[in-house]
Amino acid sequence: MNADVKPEKKIRFGKKKEFDVEFEDRTPFWERVKTKYLSLYFLKNVVWALFRYVLLIGISYVILYPFIAKVAGSFMSKEDFLDVTVKLIPKYPTLDTYLAIITENRYFEAFWNTLVISLLCAVVQMVITMCVGYGFAKFKFKGNTILFFCVIFTMVVPHQALRLALFQKFRYFDFFGLIDMITGDSLNLINTYWPLALLSFGGLAFKNGLYIFIMRQFFRGVPDELEEAAYVDGSGVFKTFIRIIVPLSVPMLITIFIFAFSWQWTDDFYTTVFFTRTSTYLMPNIVTVPASLGATGFEAASVYSSAIVNTAALMIILPLVIMYCFCQKYIVQGIERSGIVG
Amino acid sequence: MNSAVKTKEKAPMTKPVKQKKRKAKSLDRMKARSGWFFVAPFVLIFFLIYVPIIIDSITYSFHTIYPLSSGGFTLDYVGWENYSDALFVDPAFVSTLTSGVQQLVLEVPAIVVFSLFMAVLLNQKMVGRTLFRAILFIPVILSTGLIDDIDMNNRFNEYSEGGMSEADGGGGPGESVSNGAANGIISAVDLQGLFATMKIGTGLVDYVVGIVNDVYNLVNRSGVQMLIFLSGLQSISPAIYESCTIDGATAWETFWKITFPMISPMILVNAIYTVIDSFTAGSNQVMNYIANVYESSTVQNSNVLATAMYWIYFSIVLLLIGGVAALMSTYVFYQRRD
Repeated sequence: MNADVKPEKKIRFGKKKEFDVEFEDRTPFWERVKTKYLSLYFLKNVVWALFRYVLLIGISYVILYPFIAKVAGSFMSKEDFLDVTVKLIPKYPTLDTYLAIITENRYFEAFWNTLVISLLCAVVQMVITMCVGYGFAKFKFKGNTILFFCVIFTMVVPHQALRLALFQKFRYFDFFGLIDMITGDSLNLINTYWPLALLSFGGLAFKNGLYIFIMRQFFRGVPDELEEAAYVDGSGVFKTFIRIIVPLSVPMLITIFIFAFSWQWTDDFYTTVFFTRTSTYLMPNIVTVPASLGATGFEAASVYSSAIVNTAALMIILPLVIMYCFCQKYIVQGIERSGIVG
Repeated sequence: MNSAVKTKEKAPMTKPVKQKKRKAKSLDRMKARSGWFFVAPFVLIFFLIYVPIIIDSITYSFHTIYPLSSGGFTLDYVGWENYSDALFVDPAFVSTLTSGVQQLVLEVPAIVVFSLFMAVLLNQKMVGRTLFRAILFIPVILSTGLIDDIDMNNRFNEYSEGGMSEADGGGGPGESVSNGAANGIISAVDLQGLFATMKIGTGLVDYVVGIVNDVYNLVNRSGVQMLIFLSGLQSISPAIYESCTIDGATAWETFWKITFPMISPMILVNAIYTVIDSFTAGSNQVMNYIANVYESSTVQNSNVLATAMYWIYFSIVLLLIGGVAALMSTYVFYQRRD
């Protein structure tokens, strides 16, 4: 009889409630507890779970601690650095460091300029790497493999090695002497958005080879039948791409966008090559110690100035942190779905 | 090329079949043409801008460069002089290079093993998995480029770990560094004591101690690798695990007999990615050294000298990548898909 009742109760109350209800013909409560919790199997699971949590919490601590220390240091005033008893919690909390960076280091100007560049690059790179990845994944044209090898090649070449050549190329920009013929001189593209835009447009900017690789793997996982069905229904290649493929790959696109945006945001290679400090004020330029804070000439001066630099770093990554809080699930999901296997 | 293929197929076929084939072919060709359209941006910029840049970069490394007062520059061919300068004249380049490559070789296995371990851990069902994942992937987004550079020459972290009195008491940088190391996750002395009873060579012990004390660096650099492993783990069919459990395999056996072979292509990918990622990173000591040479004003023609150094380093790492790929691809297991 009870056998009929029990499943209903399970469904209604879930597993935990089961213990509260007394069934006279079942094994006594303590017996059940004993067999469940005093077994070697259970012990093993508990030990493993404990080990796992200790490890994960430890590593999380390793990752988070520098940020906590930076936040703590950013609120400290000069007196805190002279006080021996102060470790993480400041005695004389102050916002001077933040204010000095905002006013003296012109934080908002750098913020705005970097935002424009990063958004431009991220959007262009997202669209371009999607198209290129799709082309490599789904079309068997002549030279497909060789060209994809070129993509891998761009991943391997260190951009630092091209530093001089990149600068010279865009300082004296020309297409086989064409521009020289028309205007009489080569173009100077330094301090404009063109170098980054051109590189992004070709899928050749920072780490774009990786994005193309990820997109290609993702599209290879999309079944061909989907497109074939669209072709049979009379849709062309581009219509299929826009109506079927693009909506399908939105999580992937968000992943690529986050990568592209945040890596461009914290980039200090291309921005220092293509922009001079005086013309376009960018994030790498705010990493200096403001003079008004007076971080010189006392014993803990070096610690104080590195705390100020760390505050600048915090302010640089603040928008990324906010974005990460909202979008982190897409990164994991996107990569998981891409199945970067083989 | 297309016409050549067509004539080859034409010969043995009868007429009606040939017509059908031609239709199929034209659709394929149409598709192929749109394929070109999709990859066109990459191809255009790659051949018009990127390849010239690479060629320029290599040419510059064989020249000295003189800026002109009118705004241009002239090149003067010097042959292998920049390379011989880098290798034989520069006082510290060779030693930095060898120690850098050595460090790379030692770090890559550590990063790959660590990220595989963490990926397996994060793939298990448990409370707070999403939170841990979110925390562990923070470095992917936040510890790159600029922030990495700031962290690199940073005394603040050491200071807040080591306490203030030492930093205040006029202790030099050396003292503060040793102080930070002593406050590492595990005291090196304890670990060495643990291993000493196991009769393992001191080299291995030092290696392990070094890695444990450098765990922050390790965690920071294995984010993308963790993601790649995680995606690999997710793509293993649960049915395989199920049948394994039914056959009575323990978790340990399942890992070595199922997970490990299935994930081995990812290990290859990750090993190569790690090599590339850590040698192009700005925090790499060799890259750092060369960047200093590039910006220094005391060395004659520092720009081209640094470019030559970059190419030397690059060719060594390329050899390394080739070695890793050749060595590991013999052990990689590819699942046959029908």
